[in-house]
Amino acid sequence: MRGVLRLFAPRSYMDRQRRAGLLFVLPALVYFGLVFLVPLVESVVGSFHRIVPGGESRFVGLRLYQRVFTDSTFWQAVANTVSLLLMSVPVTVALALAVALGLHRLRSVMARSAWAAMYFLPFSVSLVAAALIWQWMYDPLYGFLNHLLGLAGLPPLPWLQSLELVRPSLAIVNVWVRLGFDTVIFLAALQAIPADYYEAASIDGASARQALLRVTLPLLNPQIVMVTILELIFNFKVFDTVYATTQGGPAGASQTVIMLLYDTAFKFFRLGDASVMAVFVFASLLLVTLVQWRLFRREVEY
Amino acid sequence: MDGVRKLAATAGLVLAMVWAAAPTSAQPKKLIFWTHWEQNPEFNKYYETRGRDFAQKSGYEVQVVTIPYQGYEAKYLAALIGKSGAPDIFMGMTHHWCGQYDFCDRMPADLARTWDDHLPKYMVNVGKWKGVRYGTPIEHGNFQQMYLDVELFRKAGLDADKPPRTLDDWLAAMKKLTVLDAKGEPTQVGFALRHKGHPVGITDKFLPFAHAFGARMLSPTLETATGFANSPEMVAALGFYADLVHKHKVASLAFPTPEDAFGQKRAATIFRESWYFGWLKKNAPDVAFKVVALPCGKACPGAGALFPWTNMVYKSSANKAAAWDFIRFLSNPKDDLDQHQAQGILPVWTVNLDSPYVKARPDYASTQEMLRQPVPPEYYHPKSNELATAFGEAVVAALYGRGQPRPLLDEAAAKMDRILKD
Repeated sequence: MRGVLRLFAPRSYMDRQRRAGLLFVLPALVYFGLVFLVPLVESVVGSFHRIVPGGESRFVGLRLYQRVFTDSTFWQAVANTVSLLLMSVPVTVALALAVALGLHRLRSVMARSAWAAMYFLPFSVSLVAAALIWQWMYDPLYGFLNHLLGLAGLPPLPWLQSLELVRPSLAIVNVWVRLGFDTVIFLAALQAIPADYYEAASIDGASARQALLRVTLPLLNPQIVMVTILELIFNFKVFDTVYATTQGGPAGASQTVIMLLYDTAFKFFRLGDASVMAVFVFASLLLVTLVQWRLFRREVEY
Repeated sequence: MDGVRKLAATAGLVLAMVWAAAPTSAQPKKLIFWTHWEQNPEFNKYYETRGRDFAQKSGYEVQVVTIPYQGYEAKYLAALIGKSGAPDIFMGMTHHWCGQYDFCDRMPADLARTWDDHLPKYMVNVGKWKGVRYGTPIEHGNFQQMYLDVELFRKAGLDADKPPRTLDDWLAAMKKLTVLDAKGEPTQVGFALRHKGHPVGITDKFLPFAHAFGARMLSPTLETATGFANSPEMVAALGFYADLVHKHKVASLAFPTPEDAFGQKRAATIFRESWYFGWLKKNAPDVAFKVVALPCGKACPGAGALFPWTNMVYKSSANKAAAWDFIRFLSNPKDDLDQHQAQGILPVWTVNLDSPYVKARPDYASTQEMLRQPVPPEYYHPKSNELATAFGEAVVAALYGRGQPRPLLDEAAAKMDRILKD
């Protein structure tokens, strides 16, 4: 209590420093609290209540959890999400790493920046706009991809209409959107690795492949872990691209957890059930992130 | 303490500026009208145009806010729960906003009587919840009719002036109208069906077939689905529907949306509502088409709507008396006709259904014929979206060969019963 009081009526230089520090982080704290923490707590509370918007809420214990977790549609959406995630994340991370390594070898800074900017461009496009662009690319009749297939003498493919192709097709969109962001992170990390390490490896007779495996990749570990976590989160929460292209179809083959959550909340008006799904998404991502952090994160110093 | 004083002075200054910028009482009062009918801008503009006349006697102008249809429910819900920023009048479905929730003001009795007396019989329940009128219906002809491509009919040796009247005749015609490639896949289909998008829309497009087979999605009291959504008639209807794709190949899942396929002359028929011919004239003016009544099976599909759109007044609106006055101001045959004619859609009032404007429309005869048929089942249930989604998932699964109609419908009916009981 005394500490709090001293923040408002500082007596010493250190008090003033502490107060300044608090004031600096206050906007971020308020923003985080209002935009993230309050909805999170509300979601957790809401998942135990039957909520009637405009009416009264009723505590129902674990009933909503039981209902959501015994619903086959929910698990189908989870399976779709995981499948989409497994197709997107490894490809995005591996491709971004490969592109960053390629760009890092470019001697001209201008050329490197220009290429990096080109790769980054899709990331700056709105996700809905990206989805619409790809919807046209995938159009069975007028689409660019089927046009290319036609030129090669191949039959057109039902990219977004087929149960088998729809998720890989959407994964391509996700990779396209996210590649630039990951590339820029890897590129920055590569540029931060001191050249001495490579010189030392070269003197020791290491080949380029050995230098990549024994020097570059271990030193990129924090970035690889971080990018993988970010990609997992992005792909688990994917909504815009799927909603704008397939609306979860065909036959629910691309319905993700967040799409189902949206429908549950705003089409079926089951806010409690939607809160259960939100808690599930939060808990899953937290768990996966912690496990990944614990297993793969290595301390790196250079 | 100097800092605190400075902070207080700044806060005071900001408050004074906000106060100065706030609207004064001299500005005209406004009724805020929310609609998600983004495809009908002229219809929406009419509210503002007539709102200016209304302002002369009431002091209230009308401001129309068009909410994009995609995700409109979320925006409505946030505003109606929050109260501040909510509309005075809003467009939607009565059984959702007045049934599942309690957001609607009850319509004054005299106005409710006026509407009851002037609606076609299939629309009398539109805008009502538990027998009480809350909303004014705004769309007639919101039931599917058959659009047929006259040229494709002629090429197939069929007479568009003698369209198929029964489902058997219709299927025979669809076979003649379908063109297959060397691999046996359709390059032109007899019928373009809805297989993409939200399951609610897929249910909506399948229901005329279900009704033609004498099936219904829910019990007449809307309390149970088992025995109805999975009845032998419904199983037969879904079997017939899936066979159009798999057995007869007169419809294709590789085709785009039905509207586009018909506009591209790649589909000879499509089932769509009255608004579609306006879309066709604008987007595919070279398509020569006719609009006819849907073919009948055991029963005729009849005129009914899964999406009964109405205008309602928000019960927490500070201007609800003025809002009802405005609706009363528009509740007459002339405004009904003028507003719908401005957009090229069908008016609602019975007295206008034989007006020169309506008689000159290509859907006049088909609409009249379908109005004469028995009114099909209505599903104005507060959870209609969720129920139609559960049902639509079975329909689309059958279309994509993910199962047989019987088990799919059994599963859907069980799920729908759980929804109904909850």
